[in-house]
Amino acid sequence: MSGNTEYYTCAGCSCLCDDIEIDLDGENAKTVKTACRRGSNIFLEYKENRAEPAIEGRKVEFEEAIKKAQELIEKSKSLAIYGMDTIPIEAQKVAIELAEGKEAYIDNSSSYCLGDFVEMVLKKELPTATFDDVKDYAYVIFYWGVDPHNSLPRHMSRYTYYPRGKKRQRGYEEDRYLVVADIRKSHTAMLVAKNARFIQVDDDLKLVDAFIKVIDKQMPEKYADDAVRVIREMQKADFNVIMGGLGLRYGLKGNYEKFKEMINKMNEVAKVYFIPAGCHANMRGFNEVLFEKTGFVNKYSFKDGESSLDYAFFELLKNDKVDTTLIIGSDPVNSLPFEISKKLAKINTIVVDPRKSFTTQIAKVVIPSAISGVEQGGTMIRSDGVRVKVNSLFEREINDVYVLERLKEVVA
Amino acid sequence: MMRFTKFLKVEVDVVVARNAFIPDNKSSKEYLENVAIAFMQEEFAKVNGFKENDVIKITSKGRSVNLKVKISDIAHEKGILIPNGIYASYLTSFDGFKRFKAEIELADGEITKPEEIIEKLKG
Ligand code: SF4
Repeated sequence: MSGNTEYYTCAGCSCLCDDIEIDLDGENAKTVKTACRRGSNIFLEYKENRAEPAIEGRKVEFEEAIKKAQELIEKSKSLAIYGMDTIPIEAQKVAIELAEGKEAYIDNSSSYCLGDFVEMVLKKELPTATFDDVKDYAYVIFYWGVDPHNSLPRHMSRYTYYPRGKKRQRGYEEDRYLVVADIRKSHTAMLVAKNARFIQVDDDLKLVDAFIKVIDKQMPEKYADDAVRVIREMQKADFNVIMGGLGLRYGLKGNYEKFKEMINKMNEVAKVYFIPAGCHANMRGFNEVLFEKTGFVNKYSFKDGESSLDYAFFELLKNDKVDTTLIIGSDPVNSLPFEISKKLAKINTIVVDPRKSFTTQIAKVVIPSAISGVEQGGTMIRSDGVRVKVNSLFEREINDVYVLERLKEVVA
Repeated sequence: MMRFTKFLKVEVDVVVARNAFIPDNKSSKEYLENVAIAFMQEEFAKVNGFKENDVIKITSKGRSVNLKVKISDIAHEKGILIPNGIYASYLTSFDGFKRFKAEIELADGEITKPEEIIEKLKG
């Protein structure tokens, strides 16, 4: 990317595409080039459905909402801070400081999404790679329990399967081998044609076992043909990658040791890397920032100085362990089970979000903020661990850093 | 004419998955059109007497929502796929967050509106 064209960054998902071209008409995005449909809409429709400052559903001045939120945080005996997956790490750091000052719990969606994989990668328990390397060198591109076609729309076209890379000049037609393992024939699985394999998997642990057994020259109970074929393809190259999603995470049922054993075994006979394929733009950013500070990636209690499943946001709510929550850039009512959301409606819930959401509808206090990539820049960490500078259309004075600094005043 | 399927309840596996067409604007018509959907394969629909655009009632653990049928191969063979969103969250629990069992049947009414779920949350 060079010349006079200005490129913007889309924070619509963890692809964090930083090649977005936008024609502006004043503060309106007239045309958006390069982005996927979802990304384009973020820029084209950023003025729609905006959150307004509110207390118990009543519209108030911004300052009043801040004061009320400060009061609730100050009075809280047990506070949980949650979300932060869509805000820059500069703002995540302020939220972590607030949690520390208040001896609060802090967590993001990774505790039920791909946090465990990110932790294994950060602890170097799984060999990993960047998308640049994948683009240049990867032969077997293995999507396991993830449908990038829907969740990470430009993952395959920008970083993995379709681009031509240094050692992959003949592209997907000849220089890549696509593997998709999923419970169903997802849109990504439908791409499986020449040089590709779809594994319809109803038991992920049995597929893990099949790879281990095939490498050990034993007969697996299931998926023998699939495992033999995929290992044979992996042996043709010195760079292969598995991208694991939510389907894999839940399919493993917590048996991560078995999965690590499989990756180690694969690396005895071929070169295989692993990249978590999470969706939220800066989920990994939060994981890394918290990891640098505490040695843990999520579900952390500053009071107890440790991470535990008991401190996962949903467990805290389920067990009535918090009286107040501060939810930043996240809509748990949209994504968490009803029984959990019901608890949110009963306690003091403060939401900081640029948009109206289902959670703003049940919140005690709503504080509007800025949309990442549109009205606030900063730094985010892509799902492969690369730091991306988010170049935004504008910089608003009221952004997540500002709001969180204001809320942090109560512990200053 | 009353359809035979009206009385039929089918136990199915429900898979929850992301859908690229779901916009961030949850107040929009487009959100509802892309979330209030149950995908099923043509053969499964035929065997169980469902048709494209039928409204079906999905019940799991005592909670129900009405969603519109869309015929698609992205669903698995013996069940339905519903997009990530407020309807899936309303039906799920943490034991079966992305995959759970439910009963489906033809419904009389309209699709469930998100506001109805929000009211239940507040109630
Ligand atoms: S793939 Fe993700 S980051 Fe890239 S344009 Fe689409 S939504 Fe934005």
